[in-house]
This record gives sequence, C-alpha cells and structure tokens, in this order.
Amino acid sequence: MIALGLEGSANKIGIGIISHTPTKPPVILANLRHTYNSPPGEGFLPKDTALHHRAWVVRLIKQAIRQAKITISDLDCICYTKGPGMGAPLQSVALAARTCALLWNKPLVGVNHCVGHIEMGRSITGAENPVVLYVSGGNTQVIAYSANRYRIFGETLDIAIGNCIDRFARTLMIPNDPFPGYNVEQLAKKGKNFIELPYAVKGMDASFSGILAAADVLAKGLDESLPDEKRLKTEEGELVTKEDLCFSLQETIYAMLVEITERAMAHVGSKQVLVVGGVGSNERLQQMMGMMARDRGGSVFATDERFCIDNGIMIAHAGLLEFQTGVTTELKDSTCTQRFRTDEVYVGWRE
Amino acid sequence: MAPSSPPQDTTSTPPRPQETATSQPPSQSPPAHIHTLTLPHYPTHPIHLALFRSVTNAPTLRSQLLSSNPLFDYAFLDATVLLSPTHLLLAAQLALHAHLTGKGKTRTPHSELVFRLHPNNNIGEAYRKFGMGDESREVLVVKFGGLGEAVAAEWVGKHLGEVVEGESVRMGEDMEEVAMFADVAKVRKIYKLGEGGAKGKGKKGTDVNGDGKARDELKGMESVILGMMALKGS
Amino acid sequence: MAPETIEPTAPPLRAPSPTPTYRPLHALPPPFTSSNLEVLTQGAEALVYRSVFLTPHTPCVVKYRPPKPYRHPVLDRRLTKARLLAEARVLVRCKRDGVDVPRVLGADWEAGWLVLEWVEGRTVRGVLDGWAERGASVEEGVVGLMGRVGRAVGRLHGIGVVHGDLTTSNLMVRQGERKEEGVQGEQSKGRMTTSEMRMLAEDGETPSFPSVEAKRQEQRDELEGDIVLIDFGLASHSTQNLQDEDRAVDLYVLERAFAATHPKAEPLFQKVLSAYGESFKGARAVLKKLEDVRLRGRKRSMLG
Repeated sequence: MIALGLEGSANKIGIGIISHTPTKPPVILANLRHTYNSPPGEGFLPKDTALHHRAWVVRLIKQAIRQAKITISDLDCICYTKGPGMGAPLQSVALAARTCALLWNKPLVGVNHCVGHIEMGRSITGAENPVVLYVSGGNTQVIAYSANRYRIFGETLDIAIGNCIDRFARTLMIPNDPFPGYNVEQLAKKGKNFIELPYAVKGMDASFSGILAAADVLAKGLDESLPDEKRLKTEEGELVTKEDLCFSLQETIYAMLVEITERAMAHVGSKQVLVVGGVGSNERLQQMMGMMARDRGGSVFATDERFCIDNGIMIAHAGLLEFQTGVTTELKDSTCTQRFRTDEVYVGWRE
Repeated sequence: MAPSSPPQDTTSTPPRPQETATSQPPSQSPPAHIHTLTLPHYPTHPIHLALFRSVTNAPTLRSQLLSSNPLFDYAFLDATVLLSPTHLLLAAQLALHAHLTGKGKTRTPHSELVFRLHPNNNIGEAYRKFGMGDESREVLVVKFGGLGEAVAAEWVGKHLGEVVEGESVRMGEDMEEVAMFADVAKVRKIYKLGEGGAKGKGKKGTDVNGDGKARDELKGMESVILGMMALKGS
Repeated sequence: MAPETIEPTAPPLRAPSPTPTYRPLHALPPPFTSSNLEVLTQGAEALVYRSVFLTPHTPCVVKYRPPKPYRHPVLDRRLTKARLLAEARVLVRCKRDGVDVPRVLGADWEAGWLVLEWVEGRTVRGVLDGWAERGASVEEGVVGLMGRVGRAVGRLHGIGVVHGDLTTSNLMVRQGERKEEGVQGEQSKGRMTTSEMRMLAEDGETPSFPSVEAKRQEQRDELEGDIVLIDFGLASHSTQNLQDEDRAVDLYVLERAFAATHPKAEPLFQKVLSAYGESFKGARAVLKKLEDVRLRGRKRSMLG
C-alpha cells in the first residue's frame, strides 16, 4: 500500500510518499520539505507561514509523485496532519489534502503529529517499545506506550524546549537559518564556561520559562558597549561570551530532559529510549542521552534530521498504519486542531 | 554489638601510667568494665566504652585532658546528656568517618566525637555541653582503637580502673546503660527542641497508653537529634 | 525548476544498530566501599542499597547519588549536594513536625550518600497490585488505606512540605503496629514475610506455607499499617509562599500514578482526596487548584 503524507503544523511543509508491504520494512519513495525562515530576532508568524505553505504545496506534491515514480492511481490514501500545531499553517495543508482527496477520489486519514514522530522513529530505529522523548518547537513530552495509547508520563509545565531555545536565540540575536537550535548548538561547541541557569524539574515534568527570564538578564551583561565592570564575568574574572551562554543553556536544559526521561524509564522499567522531534537532532542531547542509557544498561535510538525534523513521510507512515486498521477520516471530519494530545489517539496497530 | 568480633590487640605493649600524676589511685584498683564494639563498615576500628557512676575525681581527670596528657587520649563524656545508645553510636560513626576521610574539624577522633554530639559548630561549647565537667559524677569514657598504635581493651580497662575514682558500670549487649543517667529535659534544651521533642502536631494521642506515648515521644526526639547531628555543618 | 532547498529522496529504511551498552558497577564511596551491599533499586536519581548502620542488626537504606556522567561536573555537584541536603533537611523537618518518614541517620553530601532508617513494609503500589490481583473489591480495608494515604499527604502539606514526586511507589504501608488514630493493628510477628520465605527457599529449605486463613489475614494486614512517605529527593519546604499550585501538582502526580498503574484503583482516588480535604486548613483550596492543574495538564496548548 502507498500513502501520500502532508505535514505543515509549523514552519516546514513536508510531503512524503511511503510504501508498506506486509512482512517487509516500509520503503520511502519520496520525502521533500521546504522551510520558512523568519529574519533573526523574530519568530515565524502563523499568517506568513500559511502563505509559505500554500505557495509550496502544489509544487512539492508534483515533485514527490514524480520522484516516487508512481501514478496517482497507485495511492491508497492521503494522510495529513490534523494537529497539534499552529492553526493557519495546519489549515492550509489540510485544505490541500482535502482537495487532493476529492480530486483523486482517495480516502483521507488525519494524523496526530506527535504519533507521526513516534511511529517514524520506531520504524527507522527498530526500537521495539522505548520510552519516547518527543522534543520540538512546540512539544516536550516523555511518552511510554501502554494499552493502545501513547501515555504522557512527563511534559513541560510551561513552554516547549524548542520554544525555549528559539527565544533564547532571539534574545542573543542568533540567526534563524537553518534553524535557531542548530546555530545555538554550533556556538555551544565553542563555549567553555558553565554559567548557572535555573534548573527546574518536578517529578517527570520540567519547566523552562525560568531560563528565559535568566537569559534576558544574562544577555544584557554581554553587551560590548558596557563598561568593563558591568559586563558579565565568570568567578575567575573571565568575560562571559555568547558561546558560553549557549553552552550553559544546552548543558542545563538537556540535563533536565535526560533526567525526566531517566525517571520515566525507571518508572516503567524500560531500558530503551527513542528521541524524536526537531530538537532530537541535537548531537549533545543524543550524547547525553546515550550516557544515561548506558548507565542503565540500555540504549538510545535517535533519527537524523531527515526524520527528526517535521516531515511528510512520518505523516504518511503513521497514517498508513492507521489506514490499515480500517480507520479513515470522513470529509466532514477532516478538520484540524491546534490542541491534540498524544494520548487521545487510539493506537489500534500495536499490541 | 558483636562481642566476639572486636579484634583484641593482645600483642601491644601497654604504655605505663604516669607515675608523677598527683592523685593516682592505688595501682591495685580493679580494672573497669569495658564494652568493646565495632561499627558496621569499620571492622578494623574497635571502640571501647567504659561507664562510671559516682565519679569523685572529675576535676583531676579534666586537668589531665586539658594538659593533653597523651595517656588521656579518650573522650570523657557527661553521661547525663546521652539520650540513647543510638545517640552515642551515631556520634561515634560521624567522628570516625570524619576522621578517616580527612573531613574532621578537630584534631583527634575523641575530640571529634564530642564535637559531633553538639548541634552547632562551636567546639568549646561542645565540650562544655557534652564533655565531662568538674561536677560530673556520671561519665562515659570512649576510646577509639585501630588508629595507629594498637589498643587492647584489657589495657584500657586497667588504666581507667586506676585513674577514674568511681563505680564502673557493666554494660550489656544492647548498651541500654548508656542512657541510664540521661536527663531528657537537659538534652532537649541543648538541641533546642520544644516540648515533646517531635512536636507531634496532628497527633490526637487519644488512646495509646502513657508508656507507649512517652516512648514514641522519646523516639521522635531521638530521630530529630540524629538528623541534626547527621546534617551538622551542611 | 526544482527548488534548491528541497532535500533529496531518502534511502530505504534500515535500522541502525544502537550504541553498544554495558552496565558499569558503581563503586560506593567510603565507608561502604568494601561492603557487599544489596542493591534494592536503581532509581533515576539514586542507587538504593540495603545495609546495616550503627549496629550489625539495625537495617538501613543507603541512598547513593552517583555522579551523572552526562551532566556538566559543576551542575552535577551542585545538584547532588543541593538535592541530598534538601532531602535530608525535609526529612528532619517532617520528623520534627510529626510526619511519619524515615529517620536520617547519616550523610556525606560531598560523597553523595545518605543513610536512612529501614522501613519494614510494602509500597502502596505493591499493596494495590496485590489487591487488584485479588479482584479489586471495594472493601473496608482498601477504603481505609485510601483514607490514611489522604491524611498522610495532608499532614505533609499541612506542615509546608511538598513531596515533588508523589507516586504510589513513594508511599509505604509500614508493617506492624498501627499508631495513627490509635487503631491497634495486628502484629505481624511470628508470620513469615514473603522475603523470608524466599530466602528459605533459596537455601533449599521448604518454607512452611501459611494456612489459607493466615494468608487472608496477611492480605488484610497488608492494607493496614501506618503510611510512611519515602523518597523526598524532589521535595521542598517553605513556610511562606507555599503555593497551593505545588501541593496540587503533588496530588495530580499521585492521581496520575493511580491512573497509570492501577486502572481499578483510579475511582478510589476520590477517597484519598476526600480524606485529604479534611486533613488541614487550606486543603479545600488545594483541591480547587487541583481542578485547574488537571485541566491545564490534560489540555495544555501544544503547538506542533
């Protein structure tokens, strides 16, 4: 069976085509993506992002079909992201999905974005039943599967980790291209002084908003136009750099993520951890997670950026899994929603 | 406490008590009862205890301690402020651990023991509150072994029998005798615990018989004291 | 014509082999270095061992927080010390104010260990699992247990302490005499515990199995016993400004623990809450707040 997947819940539009054959691993026929980047110091606005997606969707679908070397008649269903995400971009892509479904007379499957990430991660890495850390611009969740649901064991109590990194980057005027987290990661590699930032973990939940407040204060101390005595220094009297702050941010927030993941692993008795979502492509996070998992006699699974970062393939993949259990989304129900919790989805395709 | 296990350092040559001390008891006085124990995890460090009542020469003994007479390398404790065997054992454990890990705040494990009993970091005050005073009549003497020169329980008993003018109290396995002179009100004051040790807020205390309640209270008080001692200096 | 930023087709899916793993043995710091201790649990925070302390027949728990290799050493030291001391201080505070928790017996915050009293008994999680296996009937015993859980948490909150990780694994039912409200529980002395039987069995001896009646009695007793709160690794104390929010999050975490591990026990949680509501001044306000936390927790805005 072959599915077309459309993803556009945030600033990326992704189109993917996947083929499932019983008893064989899924085959990716096409996986295309285009990202909308806003200028440094600014976030992406829903309206502009929706415009971007509308401008690209037709081109990308055409190219994906061409690249997959299939015809429309080969498609079994059209899968799209139902939520969660930003309203206007979600709607623009849902509209495209509906149009294709009507035009080509194909069934629709609305997919939960988070479940898409989880299923893609499981499929790619072969992790059977891992604790999942889902970290992206809009989500921070520690998830474990139980009785046909992906249950949320821990999550952010305020803002998402990616949002924290993006806003931290904005405070320090770090560019958004290719994405803020990548640039923070590169700067962090050059940082060496560890500056204390708020560390807030509550059970399996974490809070990141305090870090932003601290970052605002610290960033002011970096200003080169300040007199020397007012500039931010380490205990040894060294001037603190932007790189140091990026380094300290990463060390702090990833330690928090690893800690809540470890708590969940200890709680459910799992030794595997799967990291998905855009922030999951961060090498330092993967490294830290690996050290923790090793200490517990387990292992960490992570995907590379093609799958970590939002893409159409994961929507096609999760949608096709659901489609194969006989579930489709009627046209009248083919809405999208900004709020859509991971544990609302009935996972009929797993034992 | 594992009476069979403590290593007896029988090969050591006991140093002779000083002849010059002014008020030495006659050398034929009977040896004091010594209770020797080892704390778990410190098998090579026997601890020798000797309990005395009706001590009459506290000032003389104190002067020996104050002049740092090497023969008086002991902790002389006021037994009225020892709440329980656990109270004493924890202080001994903390003192030994601090001494062996180089984290001690005082020179010897014996002074460390006195220090570790006290709720705050004032060493002089620790001695005034927990050390034997001139008026003390109930005294517990502690000697740490396994630190450098070997110490035989036998010798400790002999020496203390000679120098302490008082009645040696034999201690049983459970060491309950440690607490036999305890002045609970005094202990409570030292640790600044309000009435009832553990305040017992929310406890209705409707029925339990009087004895049980007092015992629970004492246990609660002991719990708080142990915690304070364990966290001292943090 | 093709937009340049479009990424190429991915290769077929294949599972990369995960990083090889091994489980290092943590060397305990002094004085436990040479001791052969029994590991009870490897929590996320700490390794918990059973040992003895002060006398050879005083069992204790050694809670060791090994350095976390993934954490920056400065952060690691700061967190280890702060958490160990916060935990110990809160426990002492609880003892002072009459909340049933393990005693603090020793600590070395540089080395990362804490020695606590050994509490004989089972976790509420274990007790509820046993209860669920027996059919999960809403009987007097289990309702009473829920009431005691609610009051224990209420008493804790009443003295200004928030637990921070209030799962059913962190509530124990103390074996033996029950003191709370003066109800004398059955002494379980003379009956074998399952661990004793297991030890006998491992020694090749045949344990004498208790009669059916004795077993039933034991199951009833399991629901009896004072509630002891354990694992204060994430607890906090403040006399002022203690937010009802934090207390409500405690209850929310406990509620989730009930829901996640004991579907049959979830309705029973109401009993916990009603006992909690009576337990201290201000408990009602916390229950009100819990409704907000539930809503926010379940329906929090999540953008993709």
